[in-house]
Amino acid sequence: MGLLVADRIIVRGPIVNFIVAGAANAAVVFTIPVLAGQLIGTKSVKIHRVNLYNTAPAGNTQVMIGTGVAGAFAALLPALDSFNGLNDSYGPETDLIEAESFLNVTAYPVALAGGSIDVQVEVIVVG
Amino acid sequence: MPDLYIFKAQIGLFDPLALQGQNVCVHYVQNEYYRKVDFLEGIPPFQCINIGVVAAGTVSARTMVANLEMADGEFGLFRWYPIDDAQIRLFHPFGLAKWQLRNLQVPVDMNIVNRDPNLVTTEIAVWQNNEPAMEAVNGHAFALGAVRIIAIGYRFHTVNLEGTGKYADPSLVADLKAGKQPCTHVWASGRAIGD
Repeated sequence: MGLLVADRIIVRGPIVNFIVAGAANAAVVFTIPVLAGQLIGTKSVKIHRVNLYNTAPAGNTQVMIGTGVAGAFAALLPALDSFNGLNDSYGPETDLIEAESFLNVTAYPVALAGGSIDVQVEVIVVG
Repeated sequence: MPDLYIFKAQIGLFDPLALQGQNVCVHYVQNEYYRKVDFLEGIPPFQCINIGVVAAGTVSARTMVANLEMADGEFGLFRWYPIDDAQIRLFHPFGLAKWQLRNLQVPVDMNIVNRDPNLVTTEIAVWQNNEPAMEAVNGHAFALGAVRIIAIGYRFHTVNLEGTGKYADPSLVADLKAGKQPCTHVWASGRAIGD
């Protein structure tokens, strides 16, 4: 008999490009898996890693990861720093909080001086 | 055999369900075939099928797992798991849902390696060319570029104890049916609810 261990299906979401900033422009970066009548089980996701690709001249800024868009945005994680022209990766080795969400995960850059930021989240699908 | 049987759970991988010279009864749907194993070998883990691209929020076509097909007179014993994040529904044979409960058909996903590390509950047998079929359910909002399945198991070549052939042994078959001689039963298909 094997040992019981934590469920861990780690899935990377799509790369979502942000050219405008602010909560009003938040967009989904990972959709909770669901397919009525087909997919078995209620799914949630735990944020495992966040990759930020800052294209100059986006400037030094921060990226918010949460749920909802515009006025309904609610942060799941503290603001993550994104530096002009650099790639940043936040994960377990940088003590990223493993926040769980039953709602689609959304993101937005706090500010952009130009350029754009690509956001990709890696999640643990639970369920 | 007393210590060789289907769905065996243990430390490590899994045992063959019969050894050289041992008797088996292969059940395929409502048929029974009394056979004697005269050769067996392990089948290392291999990718038995790539169901292919599955669009976001869709179910793939039901696809025969042709690479699990066995030669005449042979059956395979396999455990398996997917390596892409889809839920897999098994049909064995093509028209018969496997793991069908009253309200749903239980699928297998990547979590099986955590929840059932020895893959005991995925164990299936394949009799000759009666291989299973699979459907992949993609609940993600993005397409899966591939849905691949890894299988591991055993191949058994058998001789026919029934009929009038070279290895026919009617008295042994009678004893096997009466439970007077040891015989491992192998189910090589699903079974309809209430059947």
